[in-house]
Amino acid sequence: MPHLRMTGRGLWITALIVPPLAFVALFIVYPIISAFAYAFFDWQGLRRGDFVGLENFHTVLFVEPYRSWTINAFKNNVIVFFALMVLQNGLGFILAYALWRGLPGARFHRIAVFLPVVLSTIIVAYLFKLFLHPLFGVVNISLRGIGMGWLAQPWLGQGNTAIWSLIVAQAWHMVGFPTLVFLAGMQRIPGEILDAVRMETESEWVKITGIVWPLVAPSATIVFTLLFVGAFNWFELPYIMAGLDGSPFGSTDVLGLYFYRTAFGNVSSGQQDFGLGSALAVLIFLFVAVIASVITVRLRAREIQL
Amino acid sequence: MSAASTTYYDRRGLLGALGRDGLLQIILIANTIIMLAPIVIMIFSAFKTTPQIFQSPFGIPDFTQVGNFVKIWTQTNFLRYLLNSFIVTGASMTLILTLGTMAAYAIGRYQFTGSGFILMFFLAGLTLPLKLAIIPLFMLMRDLSILNNQLSLIFVYTAMGLPTTVFIMTGFIRTLPNELEDAARMDGASEARIMWSIMLPLVRPAMVIAGIQNVVPIWNDFFFPLVFIQNDDLKTLPQGLTTFMGEYTTDWGVLFSGLTLSAAPIIIIYIVLSRQFIAGMTSGAVK
Amino acid sequence: MNNRLIRIGTALAAVLIAAPALAQDLTFWSWRQEDRAAYEQFIDTFEAANPGITVKFETFEAANYNTILATALAGGTGPDLMMVRAYGGLENVASAGYLEPLTTETVPALAEFSAASLAAESGRADGTLYAVPFASQTQLVIYNRALFDANGIAEPQTWEELVAASQKLKDAGVIPFANGTATAWQNETVTFGLGSSLMGKDFYDELMAGTTDFTDARFTGALAAVAEVAAQYFPDGFIGLDYPSAQQLFSSGMAGMFIGGSYELATFKTQNPDIELGVFAAPGKTAEDAKLVGLYFDGGYAANAAGANKEASLKFLNYLASKEFGQAFADTLSNISTVPGVTFDNPLLAEVNELNQSSIPYLMLAHFRYGEPSGSVLIQGEMQKLFSGQTTPEAIGTTLTEGLAAWYEPFKK
Repeated sequence: MPHLRMTGRGLWITALIVPPLAFVALFIVYPIISAFAYAFFDWQGLRRGDFVGLENFHTVLFVEPYRSWTINAFKNNVIVFFALMVLQNGLGFILAYALWRGLPGARFHRIAVFLPVVLSTIIVAYLFKLFLHPLFGVVNISLRGIGMGWLAQPWLGQGNTAIWSLIVAQAWHMVGFPTLVFLAGMQRIPGEILDAVRMETESEWVKITGIVWPLVAPSATIVFTLLFVGAFNWFELPYIMAGLDGSPFGSTDVLGLYFYRTAFGNVSSGQQDFGLGSALAVLIFLFVAVIASVITVRLRAREIQL
Repeated sequence: MSAASTTYYDRRGLLGALGRDGLLQIILIANTIIMLAPIVIMIFSAFKTTPQIFQSPFGIPDFTQVGNFVKIWTQTNFLRYLLNSFIVTGASMTLILTLGTMAAYAIGRYQFTGSGFILMFFLAGLTLPLKLAIIPLFMLMRDLSILNNQLSLIFVYTAMGLPTTVFIMTGFIRTLPNELEDAARMDGASEARIMWSIMLPLVRPAMVIAGIQNVVPIWNDFFFPLVFIQNDDLKTLPQGLTTFMGEYTTDWGVLFSGLTLSAAPIIIIYIVLSRQFIAGMTSGAVK
Repeated sequence: MNNRLIRIGTALAAVLIAAPALAQDLTFWSWRQEDRAAYEQFIDTFEAANPGITVKFETFEAANYNTILATALAGGTGPDLMMVRAYGGLENVASAGYLEPLTTETVPALAEFSAASLAAESGRADGTLYAVPFASQTQLVIYNRALFDANGIAEPQTWEELVAASQKLKDAGVIPFANGTATAWQNETVTFGLGSSLMGKDFYDELMAGTTDFTDARFTGALAAVAEVAAQYFPDGFIGLDYPSAQQLFSSGMAGMFIGGSYELATFKTQNPDIELGVFAAPGKTAEDAKLVGLYFDGGYAANAAGANKEASLKFLNYLASKEFGQAFADTLSNISTVPGVTFDNPLLAEVNELNQSSIPYLMLAHFRYGEPSGSVLIQGEMQKLFSGQTTPEAIGTTLTEGLAAWYEPFKK
């Protein structure tokens, strides 16, 4: 590679590198650093007031009603994360394994499983909202149609069914993603290794747990991390399906909704508070960053052990 | 792609695999039905009247009945939203690919002090959830006087798209051979000329991957318009869809055809280019 | 002769040059996107009477209007004139000093406005009036006249009659109430649209005086009665039914009644031009109990304190406070204008106006949206819990009182 010698070339490189750097600096790095700074001030509407130290953090974590709201939203995020871990990533692994066999029609199945992934979350959310309508939705109409009307529910109106409806919609939307990441991982497993295993055992289970799983572990690490970050930033789907308040009674409230509501206000409270909103953003950010690094480091370490 | 595994299982004998593969086949078919049914119902319903939807949600409609689409075409701002989405996505993609290629070329093709640091700087942007910085971004857009202006979206999307693009393109550009470049340099071609006419034609495959990885989230984004754009004439498709769904709540036929129309562009492109889509969208997670 | 011509010419030229300088362009912001045509008409009337002043009407999405307005005002790019919300929604715009205080000297017509409407547009901290109130809204019961007639039902005078009427509709295969509570704010509407008379004026007065709180049996009893009616006579699965679907059930004639605001009347007429509507205030326990509707004020028109054309802005505000405007407003937009002396051609509006004479304020909006948690957010969530059997009216009373104690002085112990 040519070394940097002439000032002319130096200028040329500068011209190439500065505009993209400026974009990232101005629209990513600067806002994120500011978000940390904002959290330490008292805000009156859009005007920055006095420096208040950690008071905003204290308020959202320990002062009612914020304390219960924070805990409730966090709890729901945790549920969503673990549920999607099973529904989305677990199912994704099984589907990837099935696709990997190259059975007849695998190409078609692969295209189908990824189709919802390219759709906008807004479309998916509205679609499921219409399907789950208590009176006219296709779900309840079908249940009544096959004589199982007793199973028909106001899905989005009950605390316990609402959050699970959202989780299922999300899993439907995104299951194709882990599926194809796992599939790509499986396809990189060398044929010789599989042949060698075949000599030793006929058990499918041993083959999966002993060979396939360890070898797709790098894919798993990435898929888990992305799901974790995604689950704790969840916003669009609950926003459309449950509304900004996490209806009913906060049973679908997640940190994303709560943060947005606190920062920009909602119709029923009219209060907006950038200070508290920023404090929440910083807390979510730190939590996600710390846990995501832990996941990555731990899983990476395990990859090597296996 | 799956040639190796197919041969492996072929050798294993059909009968032995039948039971287990039968189960896997059933799982695949069931899953495909679950994946496609909502989309099929959506498209079918788009051609029905509201009472038809309530009475026979699964019935095959009369596809010549396009009243719902006509209504959307003539009575709503739908075309405007579609056009806005094209403008915003198009402008963002142009900026992302231009700036991304510039940065990747500089980092991948030249050695200079700080290049490692600059790459790290870009990569840091990969992992940061920008949604959480929405308050400072909102204030920034206000200070730049581009709130309620599509430039705010284009700038944010560009910044968000650059890290992955630089990441993918730098890796690719580093693998390109030096010979052509060196020969051109001997001939006295300028650096700009070398980049433009010799190297750029070679990086197109990476640009496609980087492009697809970014175009889908940008086209589908809802969060940033929600905060930045208020004027109905400036709304992008996902955001406009919420306005539209609010206005036509009573007419389910129109609702479903609105959803169908919004989904149609990306579904069609996806079906045509499914291989590139899958490769592009999973490229960040597959190494 | 020549000389004179030149002089006339010069004078003419001077006028022509001066005219644009005299012309004052005002901007006027609103969240009422659906009322654009009407407002442009009002503005034409004003401009015709006030040559040299032009008003440009701009609308923004209702849900984010306050944020947009506050942003613009803080950044110095706010409009000359604007619609502002009432009560707590006015507070954060007004308290920052962005709005021009109004007095009966600058806008004389305000002297005749009702005290309640002026209070809605005054800052809570300083009691200063900041806007000309434009409309009141009433929470009551809207019913389908044809369905009531077909089933021989009259407007109920007691709670028992209301229940009996509902049962009659149900037996006839009609959904008694169309309401659904999946959309959070509908819970508040249902609670106070149906329960205000059960709570009663005495409860309201004592609550305001600080001698009682939400654990009062009159309040919790009303909640219990509302929940009972909902369980029996709202649509199947109403807790999963969103607001637009509920409107649809009513306007399509599938349901007999809808608990909602007077703003629904125009919507229902648009959705189904043939529907015949009636309104009544939900009754109290007995026929002697006062029938109360929940009344509140929507918002007002305000001027920018930092505006460049304040004089012209005030002129426009005076027009918006005039009886001429109030009448046009009521006639075109089918809303209850707050301007005193306005008459209503539309018999339904006239009836709503009549019902307004016996009212209590729409409680949470008028008094409990000044802090976090707001009374509205609390009652909405708690009613959703009650409707799905996860709490009791008494527990709601405690939760409300304790929750609001975070910022509402009289509840602090």
